[in-house]
Amino acid sequence: MLLKELTEAFGPTGFEDEVRGVARRELDAMGLSVRTDVLGNVIASTGEHHPGPRVMLDAHMDEVGLMVTHIGEGREDGGLLRFRPLGGVDPRVLVSKPVLVGERRIPGVIGAKPVHLQQPSEREKPIPMEKLYIDIGARDADDARRHVKPGDPVAFATAYDELPHRMAKAKSFDDRVGCYILLEALRRWKGALPVFGAFTVQEEIGLRGAHAAAYQIQPDIAIALEGTVAHDVVGTPAHGQSTVVGKGPAITVQDGQTVAHRRFAEFLWETAKTRNIPVQWRRVKGGTNDFGAIHRVGKGVLGGAISVPVRYIHAPTQVVSLDDVMHAIDLVVAVLDEIAKGGFRP
Amino acid sequence: MRDWVMRLMDFVAPSGSEAAVVQALLDHVRDAADETWVDALGNGMARKRGEGPHLMLAAHVDEPGVMVIDIDDRGYLRVVSVGDVHARECAGRVVRFTNGTEGLVHADPSAKGDLDFDALVVDVGARSREEAERMAPIGTAGAVHVPHVTWGDDMVMGRAIDNRLGCAVAAEVFRKLAARGLNVSVAFTAQNAVGARAAQAAAFQLEPQYALVIDGAAADDVWHDDPAISLGKGPVLKVMDRASVVPLEGKRAVEQAADGLHLLLQHEVSRDAWSDTGAIQLAKAGCMAIGLGYPVRRAGAFAATADVSDAKGLVDLAVATAETLLG
Repeated sequence: MLLKELTEAFGPTGFEDEVRGVARRELDAMGLSVRTDVLGNVIASTGEHHPGPRVMLDAHMDEVGLMVTHIGEGREDGGLLRFRPLGGVDPRVLVSKPVLVGERRIPGVIGAKPVHLQQPSEREKPIPMEKLYIDIGARDADDARRHVKPGDPVAFATAYDELPHRMAKAKSFDDRVGCYILLEALRRWKGALPVFGAFTVQEEIGLRGAHAAAYQIQPDIAIALEGTVAHDVVGTPAHGQSTVVGKGPAITVQDGQTVAHRRFAEFLWETAKTRNIPVQWRRVKGGTNDFGAIHRVGKGVLGGAISVPVRYIHAPTQVVSLDDVMHAIDLVVAVLDEIAKGGFRP
Repeated sequence: MRDWVMRLMDFVAPSGSEAAVVQALLDHVRDAADETWVDALGNGMARKRGEGPHLMLAAHVDEPGVMVIDIDDRGYLRVVSVGDVHARECAGRVVRFTNGTEGLVHADPSAKGDLDFDALVVDVGARSREEAERMAPIGTAGAVHVPHVTWGDDMVMGRAIDNRLGCAVAAEVFRKLAARGLNVSVAFTAQNAVGARAAQAAAFQLEPQYALVIDGAAADDVWHDDPAISLGKGPVLKVMDRASVVPLEGKRAVEQAADGLHLLLQHEVSRDAWSDTGAIQLAKAGCMAIGLGYPVRRAGAFAATADVSDAKGLVDLAVATAETLLG
């Protein structure tokens, strides 16, 4: 199953190779024109000979993770791995989580002082990242160095599983869910429009790959396909939820780096409504996505984002509604249809 | 100029919602231009081809504001900021949205410490969620309403004087330079208050050799006995900000122009501003971008004060600077 394969692929920021391999395999099977650029972005295109507008669909391949910075040499910490985050990671979600280290996927666990041994003052605060370490069972530093070196990336070791009520849990729904939507939309869509699928690198540390991808594509319209924050759970008033899982893909009006093109956001909304696809506004300003970089490239790019609500985003185990994912694919295909019919003029 | 600026101040145009005021400005320069257009990010541009190197004028049209982000079952709105806005500045004030709807901002009386936007609710008088969704749908932007006031002929206080006054200056300078047959363009730029996001795309399309970027300069003549920048003491050369330093050739051209006009010139060195100047100078192969300004008390705030006589001096200074650079 493709969504399972995509989420379980190893792909912390800068180390997207495995995800790129899956994307290229699927795109090649569709018979699209595919290339990988110098930064590692995969760009697929179809219908380039048709008159515009040129439409760029974007999903980032990387996921938040960690990077090994130091292998302990001392008597106490010999063979334990210190690390820094790759992307925005809350240290409170890390303790006791299983991880995979480096290209050889060495299993490890994030360790910390047990509660029995903590001072009362230590118990009152979350353990800061610099006090956490990864334990790969090495006897000492030399033993650890046989398996791992500083600079090795670390991903969470979370298996994809389906939950009741058409829900699923996995790591990296942000943004493998976008990669999946982009692949399935390209597979389904048949029409006369120049469409570019960009699978980008290094979104989680500053939207870096998308800038170069947009520069190459020079789109008239761009849509970022994302996993976005949902907090529709206990103790949250309605206005604090951002998005609600199961209520359909979310459309951005403003985030940390974009103010929506109002006419385009309304076009996305109306397209969903007329086709009976559930849709919701993304009701929070914080966070952003690749469109934040894309819209500023060159002469400026019109567009926006279609996002799937993700509970526990940026944590080792994230939860989505599979119905939201399917509705997002429906919406992307419908939007391409409408643009091809002249239903939106840039 | 004053009455024209006050008409421009009536437009509610937070970043991303600039379309109406951009059209008003393009209408004002259209007869002097070869072509006018609005781009994907909302910049409005006018181009007049002529002799010599191409000089671009730029002034941002947008202002900070708020945006509807949620509506509850009772019809109350939640808002977030657009640009650098403090929640405490909004509490108890009237918000006017781009569609004309007005609302009163309530602050949660139990909120402690510095207010944030989570503690604000806007009442637009709706009796239900549906009614509120019709009056101010999610994504609608607005600004705190401040009726404008004039003192004498030239002193103006109100909302968005920073940078509608600059837009009026840029438009007038464009008309004057175009009338002299020079190679000139003007960009009324969008999305400056959220971090100078659109100006580089404008310069990318226009490809100027020189750019004069007009914006308010923060006057400190209320709380300082020995202010660096004062109202009524002339236009401002924005020597440096967080994103740009004026090259020496440009600085000399401005100072020479001021001397020739016997005009008082003030100098601004800002650590705070992310200006359009910095974005414009780095488009494509780069250009010489010079920030020019007029003093504003409470620059960037909802209610601010400027002296139109400084802006009139700025028009003369910009025209003379352009002639020095291009001549």
